[in-house]
Amino acid sequence: MMIPTVLVVDDSPTVRKIVQMTLQREHIRVITASDALSALTAVADEMPALILLDIQLPRMDGYNICQIIRKHMQFRSIPIIMLSGKDGLFDKMRGRLAGSTEYLTKPFDSAELVQTVKKYLVDWEERVPPQQERVRPRLRRRG
Amino acid sequence: MEQQEDRIMDGDLQTLGLQSVLKMLALSEKTGTLFVNSGPETLSISLRKGRIVGLQDEGFPQPDILAMLALIGRVDPQRVQALHLHQQVGQSIPMALAKLVELNWMSAAEMQQRLEFAVTQSISHALHWVNGRFAFHRQMLTMDTRLQPLDIDSVLLEALRQADEWEKMGEAYLTRTTAVRWLQEVKRDVRSLGLDREAIAVLCLSNGEIPLQAMALALLIPEARVARLIAHLLEFRLIEVVDTALEAELQRDLSNLIIKYQAKLAKKQQIARPEQRLLGLAEILSECINALLAHHSRYAKGLRGRGELSSGEASRFLESKFVPQFQLLAKQYPILDTAEFKHGQLDCSSILTLQELVRGDQLEEFYWQAALGLAAYLRMVLSEVLREEFGNSVTGYNLNVVWKAFLNEVDNEMQQYQVYRAQRNVQAARSGNTAHLTSSLPPPNAGPQRGEPREMNTGTYWLRETQSR
Repeated sequence: MMIPTVLVVDDSPTVRKIVQMTLQREHIRVITASDALSALTAVADEMPALILLDIQLPRMDGYNICQIIRKHMQFRSIPIIMLSGKDGLFDKMRGRLAGSTEYLTKPFDSAELVQTVKKYLVDWEERVPPQQERVRPRLRRRG
Repeated sequence: MEQQEDRIMDGDLQTLGLQSVLKMLALSEKTGTLFVNSGPETLSISLRKGRIVGLQDEGFPQPDILAMLALIGRVDPQRVQALHLHQQVGQSIPMALAKLVELNWMSAAEMQQRLEFAVTQSISHALHWVNGRFAFHRQMLTMDTRLQPLDIDSVLLEALRQADEWEKMGEAYLTRTTAVRWLQEVKRDVRSLGLDREAIAVLCLSNGEIPLQAMALALLIPEARVARLIAHLLEFRLIEVVDTALEAELQRDLSNLIIKYQAKLAKKQQIARPEQRLLGLAEILSECINALLAHHSRYAKGLRGRGELSSGEASRFLESKFVPQFQLLAKQYPILDTAEFKHGQLDCSSILTLQELVRGDQLEEFYWQAALGLAAYLRMVLSEVLREEFGNSVTGYNLNVVWKAFLNEVDNEMQQYQVYRAQRNVQAARSGNTAHLTSSLPPPNAGPQRGEPREMNTGTYWLRETQSR
């Protein structure tokens, strides 16, 4: 049985760690990134099944990262859940225009987070099998 | 439709038990997959020519065999980490064992013994199922297993023996999902208790995460014997039973607290004025402390099992635990003297409304002292709450890591303020304006006392402090 990988991009170590702890309890593998560069590297290397993306990040914001990911054919199908402290309609619209799948407002409830993540992981194996298979040998080589 | 055509037979476990079904399939040397389910639990047994070649137990999450073997000293955890074995094998026990054989850390015979044990264990458990259904499909399920084909009769014999042992055990409060953890409060020398090797191994696995069933698999001991060892250790008060549902609830509640206050902290970071930012920080810290106290009044181990408590009782419990610590801290940060405990909550309104009485640098200094004191108090409350509610559990450890990350963010916020103050003092010193700066700042212990007029003394606290920094 393959385990889905979720990428958490947030500049706050607290949010990264808490999301990691919450999702790992649900048997979901979590990788984290604190800025745009490491996020895009992680997307290319690990091909996550889902991305949780904070909007306010140093240097490049979440909207831009989302747009970059969406421009690539290979990563277009990855669901992106935006995390933000702003809950205005304009912010949500901007997220949607950048290509996000869902918008979670901080502070979010941990049960709500799990529910939302699971909603998008239901069919992840069908969505991204070739890329996930591609990642496995690379991980083995590391060992 | 396709599945129905593929199905050779199905039925009710009440009419035909698992034992009979398996014997029938063995006799007729069938090849295919037998699905047995009862409530949320499902067992898939792959058969080839009437022999078991694989089994999947979907009732429980797969235990982390590598972590368990590391806990009992069978594998070196550092080497497991260095080789990224967890990433390579995921949650699959057969893959993990095969990897250990590949690395020469385990013999092929031991791998076969462990896989065989897992099969026997699952079938032994399923033999208890009365309500449920079974279905045999012609198609073989693709299973990730290195298991040598097993004779159904010998597996059934051992499974029945284990099931029988469970029934004779009589420890009704222990089930195969029971998790235990060792108690921090153990003061006796464990060696003096005369524990045997198996009991010590169970003690090593008692981290609050590993269920009894997984312990049996790691130690290759029947579940009933593990249950007896656990009962023995419980009698000695070396371990305690962990309520996983309650622990999950506690984790959720504390996680939500952190998420809430981290979001608040992030919002306050956008404020530019230093005294407003410090006030915001003090507000967040006091709210966070109160939220933790409210959480503890609901979930404290010391209050559990007493039925419904009056709010007065819960308040008294909290105050007996947390007021002495607060009073000690108030000696170091006198501004905290103005706050007081009311109904199990810390009332900081006198600190948070200081702007009505004090202005300028003095106000900033008081806020700074309050933030420092409240941050220290938050640490105290938090460590006590986690220790009392979670003890030595992995959940407690994980929450501790997360809270530390949050406290680091609070510290960063304070460091930023220190840097700002240092820069401002340097600028003031360069422009020869130090006289103004020092004359308006209070000495270290100049916090307003309760009931006293809030008049400021003068001193050189900030200048010296800033210089030393």
